[in-house]
Amino acid sequence: MRISLRYFTLFAIANILSFGSFAQIISIYGNIKNSSSNESLSAVSITIKGAISGTFTDDKGNFKVNTNKPLPVTLLVSSVGYSIQEVQVTNASDFVQVGLTPSSLLGQEIVISATRVAERILESPVSIERVSAANIRNAPAANFYDIISTLKGVDVTTSSLTFRSPTTRGFGGSGNVRFNQLVDGMDNQAPGLNFSVGAIIGLNEVDIDNIELLSGASSALYGPGGMNGTLLMTSKNPFKFQGLSFVIKEGIMHTDGSERQLSPYNNWSLRWAKKLSDKFAFKITSELIQAKDWIGTDYRDYNRSAGMLKAGTRATDPNYDGVNVMGDETTADLRQVLNGVAAAAPFLAPFISTLTTKPINVSRTGYNEQEIIDPNTLNFKVGGSFHYKISPNTEAILAGYWGTGNTIYTGASRYSIKDFKMGQYKFELNNKSWMFRAYTTQENAGQSYNLSATTQNFNEAWKPSPGANGWYAQYGQAYLSSKLAGMSDIDAHSAARSVADVGRPAIGTPQFNNLYNTIRKIPVPAGGALLDRSDLYSAEGSYNLSSFTHAVADILIGANFRRYSLNSQGTLFADYDGPITIDEVGAYIQASRELTNNLKITASARYDKNENFKGRFTPRVTAVIKVAANNNIRLSYQTAYRFPSTQMQWINLDLNSYKLIGGNKFFEKFYHFDTNPIYDREALTRSSKVQEVYKVLRPEAISSFEGGYKGLLMNSKLLLDIYGYYGLYTDFLGRKSVVQSKTGAPVVLADTLTGQVYSIPINSTAKVNTYGFGIGLDYSLPLNFSVGLNVASDNLTNVPANFITSFNSPKYKLNATFGNIGFGKGKRVGFNIVYRWQDGFYFEGDLANGNIPTVQTLDAQISYKLPKTKSLLKFGATNLLNQYYYNAVGNSFVGGLYYVSFGYNIY
Amino acid sequence: MISIKHKFKTWGFLFIALFIILPACNKEVEQFPESTPVAPPGPSLGETIAAIPNNSLFYNLIVRSGLLPTINNKATTFTVFVPDNTAMKLFINAASGGLVPLNAPDAIFSGFISSSLPVSSAAGIVGYNIIPQLLTSAGIPSAFPNFQYATILNPAPSLSAFLRLTIFPASRNGSWVNNIPITGPDVPAANGVIHPSAFLVTPPQRYLWDRINTDAGLTYLKAAITRADSGVAATSPVSLIGALNNIGANLTVFAPTDAAFQLTLTGAIFQGLTGLPLTPANAAAHPVEYAQAVALASSTDVFTNPLLFSVLTAQTVKGIAVYHILGNRAFTNNFPTTATFYPTLLNSAVPIHPGVSLQAVFGAASAPFATTATVKGVGNATASNILIIPAPPIPAALIPEPFGNSDQHYLNGVLHKIDQVLLPL
Repeated sequence: MRISLRYFTLFAIANILSFGSFAQIISIYGNIKNSSSNESLSAVSITIKGAISGTFTDDKGNFKVNTNKPLPVTLLVSSVGYSIQEVQVTNASDFVQVGLTPSSLLGQEIVISATRVAERILESPVSIERVSAANIRNAPAANFYDIISTLKGVDVTTSSLTFRSPTTRGFGGSGNVRFNQLVDGMDNQAPGLNFSVGAIIGLNEVDIDNIELLSGASSALYGPGGMNGTLLMTSKNPFKFQGLSFVIKEGIMHTDGSERQLSPYNNWSLRWAKKLSDKFAFKITSELIQAKDWIGTDYRDYNRSAGMLKAGTRATDPNYDGVNVMGDETTADLRQVLNGVAAAAPFLAPFISTLTTKPINVSRTGYNEQEIIDPNTLNFKVGGSFHYKISPNTEAILAGYWGTGNTIYTGASRYSIKDFKMGQYKFELNNKSWMFRAYTTQENAGQSYNLSATTQNFNEAWKPSPGANGWYAQYGQAYLSSKLAGMSDIDAHSAARSVADVGRPAIGTPQFNNLYNTIRKIPVPAGGALLDRSDLYSAEGSYNLSSFTHAVADILIGANFRRYSLNSQGTLFADYDGPITIDEVGAYIQASRELTNNLKITASARYDKNENFKGRFTPRVTAVIKVAANNNIRLSYQTAYRFPSTQMQWINLDLNSYKLIGGNKFFEKFYHFDTNPIYDREALTRSSKVQEVYKVLRPEAISSFEGGYKGLLMNSKLLLDIYGYYGLYTDFLGRKSVVQSKTGAPVVLADTLTGQVYSIPINSTAKVNTYGFGIGLDYSLPLNFSVGLNVASDNLTNVPANFITSFNSPKYKLNATFGNIGFGKGKRVGFNIVYRWQDGFYFEGDLANGNIPTVQTLDAQISYKLPKTKSLLKFGATNLLNQYYYNAVGNSFVGGLYYVSFGYNIY
Repeated sequence: MISIKHKFKTWGFLFIALFIILPACNKEVEQFPESTPVAPPGPSLGETIAAIPNNSLFYNLIVRSGLLPTINNKATTFTVFVPDNTAMKLFINAASGGLVPLNAPDAIFSGFISSSLPVSSAAGIVGYNIIPQLLTSAGIPSAFPNFQYATILNPAPSLSAFLRLTIFPASRNGSWVNNIPITGPDVPAANGVIHPSAFLVTPPQRYLWDRINTDAGLTYLKAAITRADSGVAATSPVSLIGALNNIGANLTVFAPTDAAFQLTLTGAIFQGLTGLPLTPANAAAHPVEYAQAVALASSTDVFTNPLLFSVLTAQTVKGIAVYHILGNRAFTNNFPTTATFYPTLLNSAVPIHPGVSLQAVFGAASAPFATTATVKGVGNATASNILIIPAPPIPAALIPEPFGNSDQHYLNGVLHKIDQVLLPL
């Protein structure tokens, strides 16, 4: 190992130092313009034919390229969206002026993520979607991240304004652990959560070069996770994109005042990049989003034990547990109080016995999410990178992204992510044939808190539930008094509540604020705060051996190491003795070969080992069959899996009524499951004793078959993309409720109530299948008009009875777009209309389950270009018709957002 | 150009179609139908009672009590026992100390209620006739022991907000509320039900101990209980006097008369002196011992006589005393018609003891009260009679405390005088 490392190092150095001979260097200067609009074009690639040197035009279209080749030389001038041009330079003193002719973009994009090697999107062996900077400019979305929702086959779960969780092929939800998100190669999951915290850190609108979305299983190249897709966001390289750019977006939300009063939306993005020399460039980026967030206003009653919505309101259901009402999760059976009264007052015992024939569950009075949540959503990002070209082929990058913000996330509760901070810092070496990257993610949950836990504990702090003068005692006695006065049940409950709630702190009072702010800062379970300062360290490298092996096959190899360092100071994880580390290593190899002119086969295999789990092998085989020029059929067999999340391994949270624990073997000894066994709680309620073995978890896995076609038709005006897939999921990770005797005595039926209850992670033995399809049509109309339509369907079958899959995907969804990127005088006016429709579906989430009705939204923008400064004035609206929608039970209701934006130097 | 126009038309139509389907709004959250409570139709309890002429005097009593708005509140549910005017007249005649004769005009009775009867008395009486639950005839239990229903009467709110006097509707041997017959079918009202009662059900006023402590004919019982409690504080949970003074208790005391106690004690002492059972022959054969036994038993000092401590130990006396007490309330009308054993308080110490055997014989349907009622101890040769002394026009069982001998109702139980001491062995 040591020897091979030494060779590798030598090899790398040799690559880095592969300078050319010391011949005379000449410089060629020039300027590139759009031949039709006469605008200067930035970021146009200028390379010298037959040489490795090249450059990009700056923000004014100017370039300078150095070469040691003797004149004449041929310059290759290329830019996406324009026909490539060759220009011969015979005299170094000539100023080269080139006019590039716009060409159809359809199908011409280059993607990398599908095979880690650049290739035309038309020839990608797996389904892939791409969003370019131009798409972002033309989209009506207020935030570039929202554009993802209009891609084919994508479902987005919207927790709040800045917390959207995409997925493909089903299994959506807030905080999606089956979907990877990479920013410039860095996995930007929060290490303590195992999913990306929306777009709270990462790139801003003006720094995005492109977004690639790999739909479906993608572990074979990108490692664990990514069972339902991988999103790769790539920023603009400062060598290529230079100058100062910014977008100022000012909007309004809550225009109908139904949730809140009309409020502003501010989104400012900034990027400044400078190429100081041919070797050194840097950039600085920043973004600020500030608004009053969307809020959850679903006040329907929820039956938490049955996991379903039910009829009832606070006024009609004593055990009301509103979806977006916090604190009313605390519930108790009033019979405990009434039976106590009966024992003390035997003359009332018979009367009480007529009331207590069945449980009288009563919940504490909650506060609406709307009342308690910090209305301000804030997202501030700052980032920067230094790029140094060690050689023309090797670029060293030192980059950092840091973000902080407030947002709302839906997990088992609604969480206020407050003053959350996350930083990602990387060092990267990029060579044409190899890559090395080391990065770390530093997370700090800040003042984030669980809204339910905080409000529940707030209620306890104001008036404890138990005790002789506790809330339930007061309630129970008042209820009994009312019943003794002949009142109906509901009136008695309502009278009792008003008695028990006497002195309840009112929203907005100093009493409420002081107490609430105290409780939210105390860690769970006593308060609501989440202390999480977990980190992630990762190093990875890859080598493209094609230059040696091309005769046989193009071979790519790579390896990575990853360490999670969980640090919650014992408040979330079982990390009482200091941070817990979890190490993962992985390696992959990919070989591809064109078997015939029309058939290219790519096979890859990846092996990953997590220190807590058995190693996992994930193969992938793909084939691309060229049926005609620009028409390809793709076939693939892919596998993917995910190790249990860091929380599923190490969480140790006492939630009073039960303990939520991880699946690590540590817990078996910690809670003495080996000597004081645990039993299936559900079975025990039926008086059946089923001992539960605390098993080592297995990674959850999927195998997927997919076929697709992508091609340009109708004289290259129509891009058609079709796919169909079939997936098999095994070893679903879920949870189970078990009971342990508190005394160590053999477990008895009563222990379902009085014993220690744990929620332990398990692998389900169920296997479920998914299948679906997608069709995308993009048609270029004359005069820069274009229309697009995509339809997708995701389905789940073979679901065992009572098995909760959280598939959470509408059976059908549709996106339609109509737009123009430039018409009128000087082709300065553009517009885009996006219509999205999705079918209703049954949502299953940790917070709540329930029907999600059909959703349709209309987004639109109209823009005007100011070519001199490459500026764009845009009027846009998302959810133009302001029809509030929600896509998960308990999540925020999203209404219309109307904005005007000014972007400077953005194209 | 024409083809462009044509294409625009096609796409234009498509988008117009799109905008047409758009106004189909996003649905608000799917709501579940809520049933809104509606006030039940028809007249309320108060209105129903008011509408029955023969209930006018009780209606006057309700008005006087201030509880009319309570039972007229249709958001509440009650069961009310309502006597007719004849029954009310009997009550007023007694309550006025005979000042209002039974043959006085109705206006005199109603006048007495609305001006002479203290409001607190009216509220106590009416409150005791109201159960804060719906209890139709079909729901009145027939099981023994009686189910006690809390009424809305709190005799001492200052003591506890939860204090309630309880009432004992029963459908055994006819239909009863305490020891008063229910005379007709249910009269439904919007917010409850009315049961016509043969007489006014009055709330008990005193504790069982108050009677035992003061009744000149129960001095031996008092002495026995005091002896049983010797060395036990009245506040102790095992104190018998404490229980007999406890509003939370629910008891039936079979109270042997002094004569009964004397007889039993004489026999017991005689046997203790001679080793022979007391029979006329044995008494004649042992005149000295017999005379001594009679003398010792002739006074309640018998329980405190140090000479007898070895015979009448506190435990023995307590054993006998608790054998006379049931842990529930049994009016004579609740007794079974065939002799049946029921546990006594002795069973808390001797769980397998069969208890006492109760039996009653009932009169005709027109006079449904028990004509005889007996209780028999395991060690007794014959059953003890409950002293039911006929005294028309009020049935014997209804002679109010402290003047009657049977079905004497107290805050914490019922007392029946009996003519034998019950022997557990």
